[in-house]
Amino acid sequence: MKSALIPISIILASLLIVAVIIFTGGNSEALDGNNVSIVDGVQIIEIDAKGGYTPRKSVAKAGIPTVLRFNTKGTFDCSLSIRIPSMGISQILPQTGSTDINIPNPESKTLQGMCGMGMYPFEIDFQS
Amino acid sequence: MYDQKTINFMNNNKSKTYNFHVHGMHCNACVLLIESELANYPGVTHVKATLSSRSVDVSGDFGNKTDEEVAKFLSIPIQDNGYTLSLEKQVEMSKWSDFKIAIPIALLFAVLFVVLQKVGLVNLISSGSVTYGTAFVIGIVASLSTCMAVVGGLLLSMSATFAKEGDRVKPQILFHIGRLVTFFVLGGVIGAIGSAFALNVSMTFVLNLLIGLVMLILGINLLGVFHFTKKLQPAMPKFIGKYAHEVSKFNHTLTPFLVGIATFFLPCGFTQSMQIYTLSTGSFLEGGLTMLIFALGTLPVLALISFSSWNIKNSSKAGIFFKTAGLVVIMFAIFNLINALAVVGIIPPIINF
Repeated sequence: MKSALIPISIILASLLIVAVIIFTGGNSEALDGNNVSIVDGVQIIEIDAKGGYTPRKSVAKAGIPTVLRFNTKGTFDCSLSIRIPSMGISQILPQTGSTDINIPNPESKTLQGMCGMGMYPFEIDFQS
Repeated sequence: MYDQKTINFMNNNKSKTYNFHVHGMHCNACVLLIESELANYPGVTHVKATLSSRSVDVSGDFGNKTDEEVAKFLSIPIQDNGYTLSLEKQVEMSKWSDFKIAIPIALLFAVLFVVLQKVGLVNLISSGSVTYGTAFVIGIVASLSTCMAVVGGLLLSMSATFAKEGDRVKPQILFHIGRLVTFFVLGGVIGAIGSAFALNVSMTFVLNLLIGLVMLILGINLLGVFHFTKKLQPAMPKFIGKYAHEVSKFNHTLTPFLVGIATFFLPCGFTQSMQIYTLSTGSFLEGGLTMLIFALGTLPVLALISFSSWNIKNSSKAGIFFKTAGLVVIMFAIFNLINALAVVGIIPPIINF
């Protein structure tokens, strides 16, 4: 009886995983340009921070003044703590609000960032 | 014709040297502990324990006991610490067949962990303002989040390691006391003075790396398969051997307490954001209570982790438990190390929840 518990629990767990993958799959992949706008010559990239970053991947133009805007709303998880290693940025966002990070002249490359513990990544692909 | 008393008397004059195998001896502290306990035991004149052969040489006279009875007799003072003496060499504990069960269970944990991260528990926290009730909910969510890889992983590696040494209850309780008291006191201090105890990027990196490596070593030790890592375990200098017993007790008391305190500073997003919220409270009591209630929210899951090792030491499932714990701790250690390296930009982010 006891020995049967293990395979049963494994099967149950695998079913659970499959269900979760089916129901949560395909959330927030690259939303090309939807979150990027240009206002008065300034490129604004909006990213929602709660339980990860949405969208995970943004595509933007290189070489124009850019603002990275992080929106939070009742965020208490790791996504509050923004890290962009290549720019030396380590910043804590307010639990609710909007925080701008200025990038005066983004190079044409992919900027990678993540939350302070590393498990929520995001990237911005600056294209020339 | 001698009576029994006289026979005893004659035998008592003979000191004999025994060689016993010690079950459960696996660190330098154990050597010191066993030597100091046995040296003061009635009948013993000389003790020398050897870690590499897991044996102890005992000289003394123990009346007309058989060798087996002497082994049993000398086990009494050390069995509370999880050691027993025997005449035959201990069969190597690492039963590879245990892995047949330990690996699937560990994988199950890994999958459960990933699933918990994917189901969007953070959406349970909807309100922008923090009441004591939300602090508690945030605590529960935090204890199921990736913070589990850091705090839970450290706790599991520590409690399983102590359990393996036979100390199952006290270290766990001290850990939780240390954690709760620290959250209240430091939460209060943050509220009162209005500045957070934030570690900077490089300090966080060093801390992450350290936690990852400690967990990796403890995890490999728990598997009980490789013996080289035992040498890596922090060893106490021999010259304090005289105080070995006290030092060992101190170790079992202070270490879990300090680790409990340290969890306040461990990289966990929820802990950090609660600390930031606490800043705005502006009062010792309110700040302290907020952090305490948050910590209480994390308590059910953490208590489950730390007391999973209760009653396991002497059961036949112990080998499976320690191997499973070892595998889970190793996975969490690797997870933490990858994240630590990604956060400072040494490697691109690999983990994506």
